[in-house]
Amino acid sequence: MIRFAIGLLFLLLGSGSQAVSKHYLPGTLEGSIHIWGVADYPVIEPLLQQFQKSVSDVDVHYWEFGTKELEARLRTYPDDMPDLVMSPAMDLQFKLVNDGFARTYQSSVTEALPNWTTWRNEIYAFAFEPIVMVINTDILGGIALPRSREQLLNLVREKGPLLQGKMGLSDIERVGLGYLTWFHDSQQSRTYGRLLEAFGSHHAQLYPNSREMLDALRKGEIFIAYNLVGSYALEWSRRYPWIEPIMPTDYTSVVLRTAFIPAQAQRAELGSEFLDYLLSEGQQYMAQNVGLIPIVEGIEGTNSQEALKRRSHGIFRPIPFGLPLLVQTDKAKRSIILDEWRAAMTSDHKSK
Amino acid sequence: MSKGLSIKRQLFVMTVLVLCVINGIAIWGANLYAERAAKLSFDRLLHGAALQIAESINLLDGRVVIDLPVSAFETLALAPSDRAYYAVTRLDTKEVLTGYDNLPSRFIFPQSVSADLGAEAPMYMEAPFYGEATRFIRVVKRLIEADQMVDVEIVIGQTTVARLQLADEMGGMVIRFLISFFVVTLALLMFGIWRVLRPLKLLKKAIEARSSTELTPLNTAVPTEIQPLIEAMNFFMAQLANTLERLKRFTGEAAHQLRTPLAGLNLQAQNALDEPDPIARKRQLNDIIESSALLSETVNHLLNEATLAHRMQSEVFRSLNLHTLVQDVCRSLVVWALQRDVEIAYLGNAEHKIRGDDVALTQMLRNLIENAVKYSPEGSSVEINLTESSAGLILTVSDQGSGIRDKDKQHVFERFYRGQHNQTMGSGIGLSIAKEVAEHHKAVLTLEDNHPTGLIIKVTFPQEATV
Ligand SMILES: Nc1ncnc2c1ncn2[C@@H]1O[C@H](COP(=O)(O)OP(=O)(O)OP(=O)(O)O)[C@@H](O)[C@H]1O
Ligand SMILES: [Mg+2]
Repeated sequence: MIRFAIGLLFLLLGSGSQAVSKHYLPGTLEGSIHIWGVADYPVIEPLLQQFQKSVSDVDVHYWEFGTKELEARLRTYPDDMPDLVMSPAMDLQFKLVNDGFARTYQSSVTEALPNWTTWRNEIYAFAFEPIVMVINTDILGGIALPRSREQLLNLVREKGPLLQGKMGLSDIERVGLGYLTWFHDSQQSRTYGRLLEAFGSHHAQLYPNSREMLDALRKGEIFIAYNLVGSYALEWSRRYPWIEPIMPTDYTSVVLRTAFIPAQAQRAELGSEFLDYLLSEGQQYMAQNVGLIPIVEGIEGTNSQEALKRRSHGIFRPIPFGLPLLVQTDKAKRSIILDEWRAAMTSDHKSK
Repeated sequence: MSKGLSIKRQLFVMTVLVLCVINGIAIWGANLYAERAAKLSFDRLLHGAALQIAESINLLDGRVVIDLPVSAFETLALAPSDRAYYAVTRLDTKEVLTGYDNLPSRFIFPQSVSADLGAEAPMYMEAPFYGEATRFIRVVKRLIEADQMVDVEIVIGQTTVARLQLADEMGGMVIRFLISFFVVTLALLMFGIWRVLRPLKLLKKAIEARSSTELTPLNTAVPTEIQPLIEAMNFFMAQLANTLERLKRFTGEAAHQLRTPLAGLNLQAQNALDEPDPIARKRQLNDIIESSALLSETVNHLLNEATLAHRMQSEVFRSLNLHTLVQDVCRSLVVWALQRDVEIAYLGNAEHKIRGDDVALTQMLRNLIENAVKYSPEGSSVEINLTESSAGLILTVSDQGSGIRDKDKQHVFERFYRGQHNQTMGSGIGLSIAKEVAEHHKAVLTLEDNHPTGLIIKVTFPQEATV
């Protein structure tokens, strides 16, 4: 009871805070579903509406968090949980599930999914997010665009002075996805050390989220942005043709957006209905009308994996979904990676 | 037919029971083994992961540096649907350096274990954690740098889904194997039982296929255990064949023997009918009476023999006193002999017990003494004696009659044979009966000449017949 009161208090206080933005889609039916997510509301909204239209026209509450805030919120108030949690922060999501925050859910829909997209029938990947580098072709138009990390390094070596302060990175100290993808790079390739060195010595700009970085790129403040969420970059490139997302041909990291039904969900049936929708019909809808890339293969649409595969790309290397993700959340490991990072970025780099 | 226990069913039930017991034990053992094996292999993974983590912990300028290797978690991920938890704790300050704050061994393991600082060997434990059965390992590593020494403890917990699954899988495999083993064994054993019991069925068929008069020995191949049964049956059938054979002979002979006197009687009666002279007719009628008396005697003899033959087939020997038996027979014949002016003298005076059939022996004795009296001249005497000798017990009946001529001796034991020139009336069966009875008692009946005239009949009972 006391916990509940505290939860309420948080809700009241939280409504004004910046950590969460709350959205509400009224429906005609009795009942309401609460979804907490990280995806920008404008991106997710069509999907929510489509759910109301084709599955169940209940009230939909969508609360948008930052990845870390979402995790912290769940851990702090374990009695106050939504009916579905969606986030691309695989490491945080995985740890939540590992710690028993999710409930098991199985249906004919989930059974049809490939093994690598789920764990213990508790958490399911619903969107495929290639990690790309994005280039402002207006400025770098004259030269051959780097298609791989190796080519990027070559470019940095040749046009060093030109790129001084003109490369953008997520601030991995602040951005969960940035840390996740950077860590993945550190596990993947021999180019990691040289990339770190190149970014550091050329004073790469650090951004707190994809949107700001893309905006800077659009405005020409930076020419190259590294490790950006593919679906956003593709979306932007459609609007601003002079920026081009490139899936590195050496390997293309893939982050999975995942969803789970919290163990303490109040309306778990609605949660599972939405999950089923998200993993079946919603996939098709996503490929055509939502700025997210569906996890299911063989779907056609502007945002489908099939469309992605038609572009030049490297081997898709999804961040493996399993216990190794625990290392990403390990604080000792984090401090080692961040120490390396800080050492490379030196003290004179500018942070936006 | 009485409903006895079927050997086949008994064997079947026993086989199934034994197989069930064996399989039960095997399944139990297999499950135990599967659990152990699964536990062992997953404990090794846990240990491997712990060692990899331990490897990555170092002391650097007095600070504990932990560079968790992804491979350790990849090792744990070999159990793909199990949760895992870890913690690295400094033992001196009890500070959790990284991982789960609620995992240090002092929260999980019994006090005695977590207090054991220098323990090198890994320690295992199973306890519920976050509501799920979880297996824990604790490994301690001593970090040394210059003159500084720090003990850290690594605790890893992993849920037990995979190990239970593996145990189930292995157990299930063994159970599937055992079930097929059970079925195959049962089939083989049933085949074996059928094979073993088949001779009995064949025997039954062989017997069924026989006609009711076929009494030749069975020679179906049967297991040695059943051989005695066949032998007993064959023995029984041989006896039966013997009896039948005798009966057949007897009937034939009897018919022949009765037909002649009957024809004679018929003729005599015809003659008497035609005889006008009353005196002659009376004589003829007397002859008829005499003939019919003889005929009825013959019939009596035949019946006697039949009875005796039956007795000798079925009656069991009893212990009896031959001395008193001879006495009784003599006594019963004394008056009859005296009417013929023949004296009967029994010289025996000692008791002699033998095993035998008293009725048959009495009949034998009567026949012998009757003969002796019948073929003795008036005024003579018949001597009967019972003596013991090295050859056995000897019974003699001697008279002073005409004796039997040598060429008759070989024939007198034949049935219906009567000595030539024999003026007396008789059917010729008496001696053959006597001989049969003697042989039935394993005794030897011999004929000797008496001096100066007469016959001595000697019956020698072998030593083993005496009691
Ligand atoms: N003690 C004897 N002395 C002389 N001859 C004998 C004596 N005993 C038997 N025989 C001869 O042996 C024959 C066979 O004897 P057996 O007793 O079998 O027949 P049976 O006396 O003629 O007739 P029954 O059957 O009525 O006794 C007799 O006919 C007789 O010739
Ligand atoms: Mg006689």
